[in-house]
Amino acid sequence: MTSATPKTPEVVRAEDLAFGYPGRPVLRGVDLSIRTGELVALIGLNGCGKSTFLKLAAGLLTPSGGRVLLDGDDVARLSRRTAARRVALLHQSAPSVPGLTVRQLVRQGRYATRGPLGMLREGDDEVTSRALADVGVTAWADRPVDALSGGERQRVRLAMALAQDAPVLFLDEPTTYLDLRHQLEVLQTVVRLRAERRLTVVMVLHDLNHAARFADRIVALREGRVAADGPPAEVVNRRLLAEVLGVDGRVGIDDEGGWPVCYPDHPLDPLRLLRNENHIH
Amino acid sequence: MTLVDTAPDPAHRARRALRAPGVRMGGLALLVAAVACAGLFAGRGVTPEGVRAVLLGVGDDPTAEHIVLQLRLPRMLVALVAGACLGVAGLVLQSALRNPLAGPEVTGVTPGAVLGAVTATGLGLAGWESPTAVVVAACVGGFAGAGLLWLLAGRDRGDPEQTAVYGVLVSAVLAGLTAVVLLVAPGELGSVVQWLIGSTEGRVWQHWNLLWPWAAFWGAAAWLLAGPLTLLRCGDEQAAAAGLATGRGRGAALVCAVALTAGAVSAVGALGFVGLLVPHLALAVFGADLRVTLPGAALLGAAVVCGADTVAQLLSPLLATAFDADRLTLPVGALTTCVGAGLLMVVARRRADER
Repeated sequence: MTSATPKTPEVVRAEDLAFGYPGRPVLRGVDLSIRTGELVALIGLNGCGKSTFLKLAAGLLTPSGGRVLLDGDDVARLSRRTAARRVALLHQSAPSVPGLTVRQLVRQGRYATRGPLGMLREGDDEVTSRALADVGVTAWADRPVDALSGGERQRVRLAMALAQDAPVLFLDEPTTYLDLRHQLEVLQTVVRLRAERRLTVVMVLHDLNHAARFADRIVALREGRVAADGPPAEVVNRRLLAEVLGVDGRVGIDDEGGWPVCYPDHPLDPLRLLRNENHIH
Repeated sequence: MTLVDTAPDPAHRARRALRAPGVRMGGLALLVAAVACAGLFAGRGVTPEGVRAVLLGVGDDPTAEHIVLQLRLPRMLVALVAGACLGVAGLVLQSALRNPLAGPEVTGVTPGAVLGAVTATGLGLAGWESPTAVVVAACVGGFAGAGLLWLLAGRDRGDPEQTAVYGVLVSAVLAGLTAVVLLVAPGELGSVVQWLIGSTEGRVWQHWNLLWPWAAFWGAAAWLLAGPLTLLRCGDEQAAAAGLATGRGRGAALVCAVALTAGAVSAVGALGFVGLLVPHLALAVFGADLRVTLPGAALLGAAVVCGADTVAQLLSPLLATAFDADRLTLPVGALTTCVGAGLLMVVARRRADER
């Protein structure tokens, strides 16, 4: 909240963004503007369009309506390479690649900046090494990725995204499948790097408490629309729990940190959710 | 994981050196050279002493000179380059399709190329005396075979097992069509059978002159795609996020793979399992960085095909004696297919264990 002053230029801007598959709309007109240096958490139920939003904003999907401006340019018109130099996206999951070592995988993040014949340029090895150090995996650089645990692998994939050296970082559920300790490790790494490099970070999180604690701003999606948008202290309340996440619960304040803390109690009847059409803002 | 790096002892350093790709590549190159020499010495008609005399230039037997320099040498070179083509084509296919069960033989490329070559020969458009037409026909057939698989596999393209099943189907259909062509136009049946099984019999300098520039061009093109191919192995989503236009990269890779396969098929026919299994060997030896592993697959393919050819020639006299048929020769394709089928079972088992 301290780093994101309203005057900073916006780096990502979604205008009436829509996307869907035949018979199944996913995003139904999302307007969202993200300023340089912000750390935004995207929350919402499964299937509400969080991952789709990230893929559209990174130019990996073509919207069926509206557009996304990345540094002022329509991302759908950028080449894959140019887009990858501006935004790095860490996908939810990735297939294993037999035989690839940690350093080799992380170096793949340099693809977008390579020369015409795919040759590494000067400095690529340094950026790769820095990315390995950023997430603390330098010691395993020569081990095969397949031999790592899930938490270790996630950190390596984060390093691959960091090796893209893009000013904007999208993370799609970076903590899913990780134990609590590794979840905190990944989130704290992101918070630290964002401060050090002045990165703009948008991450999909399922744990509202993590979102409330680590993000400057929470954007809640519900049925393909923005249902709530603001700093955690303003947005996280019982209505958000009920209407966006579909649970009944209580919200308190952390004694030491001052951020909101939720205590979800039980899931709400889905029928009641459907009847509740008005959106909160 | 050790946090403190201990000073490497000499034995450790020696082991590290052995693991360096350059050392392995050098060792493999020596192996290829050894296999190639063995290929020159194996076979009927000339004694090893005779071969040595010809190679050292001290022989005075024109027959031996003809056999070694006009028959065995081009045959050995063609075997080496065809093997290299198949090894690289297989690795490119497996990487581009992210499918360890892919190979030119099981993705419709090889059977398509054979169908193209056989049809062109049957129609009188091509023959052993016009190898260029055979290459063109094999290329067209190879693309058609791969395209057929692409259409048939439809939405299952991303699924290695499903694609492999469709690949078997496509291969069977193409083999059936080849058989039909053979029935309708049996004119050059003798030479056609060599394409079906894969043989290096009777390859002469003309084949070599046509094959090596083709292989060099497409091999270099495949190597330039090492970066995109390594990324494609990481999965489409990750590759696209890192800045690769996946469709274009995959398309270029497939063109290289089909061209390399067609070149090999038009030179030595459908050598079974080389393109499917050499990549696994190459990945095991050289790791997943394709800038190193693609040349490695070329050397391994060359060693495997040339080695199999040598072994086939050594086995032929034994078989001839056993079956009391002195003109019997074992085609190299029969050997690679038998050995390859066994190795494929090992690969399939290991893959099943991994999951």
